Amino acid sequence: MGSANGKIQASGSANIPENKHRREQRTPTDWVVDIVIWLLVAFVIVAIMYPLWFVIIASVSNQTLVNNGQVFIVPKGFSWYGYEQIFADDRIWNGYMNTIVYSLVGTLINLVVTLPAAFALSRHEFHGRRLVMLFFTITMFVNGGLIPTYLLYKQLGLIDNWLVFVIPSAVNVYNLIIARSFFETSIPEELHDAAQIDGLGYFRYFLKIVLPLSSAIVAVIGLYYLVQHWNDFFTGLIYINTYDKQPLQMVLRDILLANSAFAGGSGSTAGAGYGQELADQIKYGVIIASTLPLLVIYPFIQKYFNKGVMIGAIKG
Amino acid sequence: MAPRKLGFIGTVKRYWQLWAMALPAIVFVAIFNYGPMYGIQLAFREFDFTKGLTGGEWVGLKYFKQFFDSPLFGTLMANTVRISLWTLVMGFIFPIILALLINQIRSSKVKGFVQTITYLPHFISTVVIVSMINLFLKPDAGVLTRVLGVIGIQSDNFMGDPNLFTPIYWITEVWQHVGWNSIIYLAALSSVDTALYEAAKIDGAGRLQLIRYVDLPAIMPTCGVLLILNMGNVLNVGFEKVFLMQNTLNLDASEVISTYTYKIGILQSQFSYSTAIGLFNMLINFAFLVIANQISRKVSNSGIF
Amino acid sequence: MLTIAVSKHSLTKNMSEMNWVSDLEAECDCVIEWQEVSSDWDQKKQAMLASGDVPDLILKGIDMTDIATYGSLFEDLSDDLDAMPNVKEMFETDPTSKKIVTETDGSIHILPSVKKGWPTTVSHLYINQQWLDAVGMDMPTTWDELYDVLVAFKEQDPNGNGEADEIPFDFHAPSTDGFGNYEPHLLLGSLGLTLSNKSGTGYFVDDNEVQNFFTDERYKEVIEYLNKLWSAGLINKEAFTHDYSTAQSTARGDGDTAKVGVTWGWTASDRFGAELADQYVAVGPLKASADQTEPVVGEYLADSLSYNTIALVVSATTKNKEAALKVANAFYGEDMSVELLWGDLGVDVEKTGDHSYKVLDPADSSKDSSTWKWTETLADDSPGWIRPDSEIEYPADLIEVQEDEVPMQSAFDAVDTENDIMPAFLQLSSDDLKTIQLNNTTILNTAMTKFSSWVTKGGVEDEWDDYVQTLKDANIDENIELYQKAYDAYMAE
Repeated sequence: MGSANGKIQASGSANIPENKHRREQRTPTDWVVDIVIWLLVAFVIVAIMYPLWFVIIASVSNQTLVNNGQVFIVPKGFSWYGYEQIFADDRIWNGYMNTIVYSLVGTLINLVVTLPAAFALSRHEFHGRRLVMLFFTITMFVNGGLIPTYLLYKQLGLIDNWLVFVIPSAVNVYNLIIARSFFETSIPEELHDAAQIDGLGYFRYFLKIVLPLSSAIVAVIGLYYLVQHWNDFFTGLIYINTYDKQPLQMVLRDILLANSAFAGGSGSTAGAGYGQELADQIKYGVIIASTLPLLVIYPFIQKYFNKGVMIGAIKG
Repeated sequence: MAPRKLGFIGTVKRYWQLWAMALPAIVFVAIFNYGPMYGIQLAFREFDFTKGLTGGEWVGLKYFKQFFDSPLFGTLMANTVRISLWTLVMGFIFPIILALLINQIRSSKVKGFVQTITYLPHFISTVVIVSMINLFLKPDAGVLTRVLGVIGIQSDNFMGDPNLFTPIYWITEVWQHVGWNSIIYLAALSSVDTALYEAAKIDGAGRLQLIRYVDLPAIMPTCGVLLILNMGNVLNVGFEKVFLMQNTLNLDASEVISTYTYKIGILQSQFSYSTAIGLFNMLINFAFLVIANQISRKVSNSGIF
Repeated sequence: MLTIAVSKHSLTKNMSEMNWVSDLEAECDCVIEWQEVSSDWDQKKQAMLASGDVPDLILKGIDMTDIATYGSLFEDLSDDLDAMPNVKEMFETDPTSKKIVTETDGSIHILPSVKKGWPTTVSHLYINQQWLDAVGMDMPTTWDELYDVLVAFKEQDPNGNGEADEIPFDFHAPSTDGFGNYEPHLLLGSLGLTLSNKSGTGYFVDDNEVQNFFTDERYKEVIEYLNKLWSAGLINKEAFTHDYSTAQSTARGDGDTAKVGVTWGWTASDRFGAELADQYVAVGPLKASADQTEPVVGEYLADSLSYNTIALVVSATTKNKEAALKVANAFYGEDMSVELLWGDLGVDVEKTGDHSYKVLDPADSSKDSSTWKWTETLADDSPGWIRPDSEIEYPADLIEVQEDEVPMQSAFDAVDTENDIMPAFLQLSSDDLKTIQLNNTTILNTAMTKFSSWVTKGGVEDEWDDYVQTLKDANIDENIELYQKAYDAYMAE
């Protein structure tokens, strides 16, 4: 075992697409396996694509026809009404801005807090780590409920304060456990031995050696957190009073739930059913408006766990 | 490595850097998760707003008894466990299969494409998912109704059949989240050393063997952790989707703890009762997690804690 | 400065875009900061109330149930009436408006809203007149005649498109927590059972006695009749499973071809869409059998449609009580009330005289008048008092609904409004409400499941006795007693 730094260089240069050398050695079973794989992939693509396509065509179709089951392959009664409504609503743009800020800042805090903790807890010599893990795990099950939480936030001045989106959710125990398990199983112990020989403390070992080898898990955990912030409407609903601070999801939910608000049909709002068609039209467009940014960023995150980052690091 | 004789204080001194790295997370969790936990005593108290959150009269296990004595208790438990177990098991298996499958795709373009589209359904909100389920399974006219009819699966009304509620629920859950949940396995697979494939191939391994002896072991630890975590969800069935899918024809199979809690008036300050039901849920779930964790420690010497 | 939270409809534009808001600020000589909540208000409310963190005023969000638990958070307005002359005048002119918000100890925490021009009920039964003509039959007046008409609709291709795509009879799906508008329990009126408030969960009043129709023989008759229709394939297959959107869309056909023969709706144009509405007419009273002497009665919701008890509350700890009361009073001004309900003067409403107003057609012609008010203003349930002597030229939707109620007028006249109505605004203690809710959850779980199963599969005859016993075990009688107690107290006042 050489020095840890040598290993990392090996991993950087070993960026070989993993399928390069496979061609020649196919056996007949491999052909069968290939065909089965292609059939399965084709099935998955169709089964997932169709409903997604449906969302797209439904978002520009006449809703009565959609609800009557007459829209299948192409839009019917084409109109941009839903999108016009969504994007004419100035709350939407404000919501986008808020969500982007909350998501980015929040995810950054999440990673800074979660990853070192996950690493520390992955070290076997960390005495008391089982207790600490138990301490964390309990919170996945037991929570004090909405009201005490509200009162706590109030004491801390988090009510109607945008920090409520990023501070209380700094650690997600589920993500912490996943990250810890990754550090435990994917980072070879030899690296730590080598680091000790080089005189690196835990801080530097983590920053200089473990993190660069862990871009896959950082990408995944980062994505998990990002999406958690992106989809969060509940925080906005309960703890934010000023509409200007509401995230996108809260705005979209308002638009979306116009639907069920009508359906509620309490005597006094009777006749509000008129607006139904308008509300329905917006329903599908809302999904696209809120998902598009996530669709755009995904390929950038994806590439981190498609590359074999660990190549060469383990058995160099 | 850790010299035990140092004692606790000694180890803290020696490994202070590890403690320092874990500390921010510990502090956040202590404040924001443990801070409000005193609210649990509501389960044992009468909620009385005028006396403050914890000033209500102590009623002991009254609300737990009320739940156990409810004529619906048996149905609720049976439905909840049935729906959640199906969803847990299937929702556990399919992402693994999908990840292995995606990993087999050689063209990186196709691979990226499949990954991206399978990930997207995760972001469709429940309201819209349920609308789509209703539309696709419309009697006679729905897309799925027609397709299923061709392969011989027929029903007058899929959404009105109590026996079909659970399958419709878990299949659509799998559909929606399989891609998202496979991401973690793909990440694990990305850390497989390609040299392992080469070595295996020199030994004459076919593709199935490569999956069996290289890919599967690589994701096993992740599978283990996720399985344990899943076990802690046996009584958790998401409220919104079940509630939206419910109708009077399938109610016998679709009333679960969360919808019941909603209906008894969680929105009308039934805080004590709903806290008690919640606490019962937590205890059962936590018990399952602990059992799963202990088994895992015995079998593979790894676990969450 | 005042903070006002308002639970508003999701279609409604921002408060700052409404003209009357600036009038309001002028009147109280204060700056108003709005907290606008649309979706999930109930959840938001729970956090707000239980933590005691309430704004100066809340509009359209706090009901009498909340007051039962959280009354101490809000100002008792019964001794502040002198500071609110408009409200005082309303209470004096219209004693009902005072009665419905006055609690047993005489305190008043909530101010009501009072409207006029609203109909007696929400659900009106419609039939496709063109189809009736096509099959050469008369308007049905009994269940048997209706059955024959529906059969003809099914078999004779009345929409003339050569396909058997007609749905003779449709209704909105009964929900798992009880009946609602446009649902088939409404047929109980044919048997002389008066549906009114709380009928969604089965309760009704007969001769000052609270009962529940879930265990009533007449309800069984309705189920048997519906089962007969279902077995003959006359009811939409989806009637128990479709959601609100789909149900609405089904009746709108595909533009110009009608698909549904008979169904309930608010108005014809709401239910069937602008293009098909002309084909439909409202159905008059339907007798269960031709020889019955018991008069057919209509569902009676007039009080809950004209009054509401969630309009406005004032925080007990407001730092600026004077301004808060000024605002509260201003809401009940004559002009302001109209603006809150239908929109800004000069934009949505024209003031045609000192006390007369004309509600204008929507400025956006793609929207109908009912949708329009929800986009323009706080509309229904907002604080306000439409005075009896204000002359209003109503918007198109109200005119239509008033007209559509004419055929049923004799059934509304047959209602004994003194002795057979469950009032909308009964007052129950917090504990009683919880008991009722808890029992109802179990009762409805059984009752609603059985209802749909009996209609679609039959078997009501065999299972009825067991079912009644199950409901008794679920404490249906306890609930009846609690409602009786509240009813008696209300009537005694």
